[in-house]
Amino acid sequence: MNAETLLNPFSLFFASIITSNILLSNFLGMCSFIAISKDSSSSNGLGMAVTVVLTVTTAINWLILHHVLIPLDLVYLRFIVFIVSIAAVVQMLEMIIDRVSQALYLNLGIFLPLITVNCAILGVSLFMEIRQYTLLQSVIYGLGSGLGWWLAIMLLSAIRKKTEKSKVSPALQGPGLTMITIGFMAMAFIGFSGMLAVQ
Amino acid sequence: MIDQYFQKQDVMRRLIYALIPLFFFAVLLYGWSVLMQTAVVFAGGIATEYFFTRQRGKKISEAVLVTCALYALALPPALPLWITLVGIVFAVALAKEAYGGFGRNIFNPAIAGRLFIFLSFPVPYNAGWIVPASRGPQGFSGLFGTAQAAGVDTVTAATPLALLRTGEIPPLMDLFLGFRGGSSGESSVILILLAALFLVATKTANWKTMVSTFLGALTAAGAFFFGGLIPGLSPASFPGFSAMVPLAAYMMSGSILFVTVFMATDPITAPNKPLAQFIYGLMIGGVSMTVRTLAGFPEGTSFGILVANTFSPFLDEHLPAPKKKTRKIHPAGAAR
Repeated sequence: MNAETLLNPFSLFFASIITSNILLSNFLGMCSFIAISKDSSSSNGLGMAVTVVLTVTTAINWLILHHVLIPLDLVYLRFIVFIVSIAAVVQMLEMIIDRVSQALYLNLGIFLPLITVNCAILGVSLFMEIRQYTLLQSVIYGLGSGLGWWLAIMLLSAIRKKTEKSKVSPALQGPGLTMITIGFMAMAFIGFSGMLAVQ
Repeated sequence: MIDQYFQKQDVMRRLIYALIPLFFFAVLLYGWSVLMQTAVVFAGGIATEYFFTRQRGKKISEAVLVTCALYALALPPALPLWITLVGIVFAVALAKEAYGGFGRNIFNPAIAGRLFIFLSFPVPYNAGWIVPASRGPQGFSGLFGTAQAAGVDTVTAATPLALLRTGEIPPLMDLFLGFRGGSSGESSVILILLAALFLVATKTANWKTMVSTFLGALTAAGAFFFGGLIPGLSPASFPGFSAMVPLAAYMMSGSILFVTVFMATDPITAPNKPLAQFIYGLMIGGVSMTVRTLAGFPEGTSFGILVANTFSPFLDEHLPAPKKKTRKIHPAGAAR
């Protein structure tokens, strides 16, 4: 396991937030990114939810992978098992948000249950497996990726708020212009690529 | 005739005036290639802008001339002209007109266009640096681009940043006057400083953003240099005050000063709140130097600007407004 000896947790943390941002460099988790970023308070809520889910599910999936799937030689089941554990965590989070903040719950609407199939969540779990992270590294990577996703959606929602007042051609209104904006954001973040290693 | 098609904007005219000396200096260094680049850029940029503004029933804003001038001066002099054209059309159409035209763009169009062609065509882009006119003990040689005619068709020249990476420090006087390779208009420190004075004196640009950008860049460059992170320059070989030499060379190379004076101060893409502007400047300088030093790219200023543009609305939204109720309107912003 090279990863264990080479990777410093701090650099992994910053790498997963900025230089290998899960959204702007891997383009995972785009659907809710585009749909929810219209408004900054729901973006904030979803960003927080994604961060929590990512951190928790990556840890749980690591434990399942290393203590159940590998000993039982069932690694080929990992996709299904990861999805099931993600679904369970999201279900619990949904109940908690419903209880704590009704407004946020209504705002997130369909997208809260859809975190289950947010590709960023499964993506991080799979990167964790491919890159052979340790438990500590997985948690840091999950947390960092969540914070990176959160940062990206907050940036986009601020930009979208500013573009709302502009007279944009009807063909580009909404998702069209948002896609162009994300392209520019990703172009800016290319500058950081390769600066810090993630594996 | 001009007023019929162009919307008169004094701020933009002053920016153009500030860029004219840089343009003449670029012609002095590279001759025909700069003239041709500039002609293609202005033709492409104005045509694209006209195409969009005509549909909206508006006049062409003079801001497009500034975009064209900045873009033309930020290119490698020997870039193939069709790539130049792709970049300016992309810049005006997608970075500016898609967002609703003048005053609405989130990203600096000139930088977005430059970065787009840099990322799309890296090989011709990096082959575009050619030998500039030089200043020797016997006087000037190779003026107006004749440095090329003497040798082969195009001779790719090492930019000062590439030299620094090999540990060679270009003469500081050449860097200061601008007799060195690089993008057409970025080289002359003295002309950029004069332009900055002109822009600040006429209240066209915000001096605070210039200062914070410079501070951000200097701090980052200093930290990387003394941390021994700049490849080719080890702090151990420059004891005491002699460390100022490589540091000054690092700051005067590349396009960081050009970007500080002309791009960071663009009021449309910069945030409005003073604190946000300060952080925005620091971010441009810091990210530019970080990318230049640590990432695998020849220069980081375009990334610095684009990253800061991405953060600009966010900073404006979440940072507190100044406590004093006296509304201080940004001098340049007032005209927009």
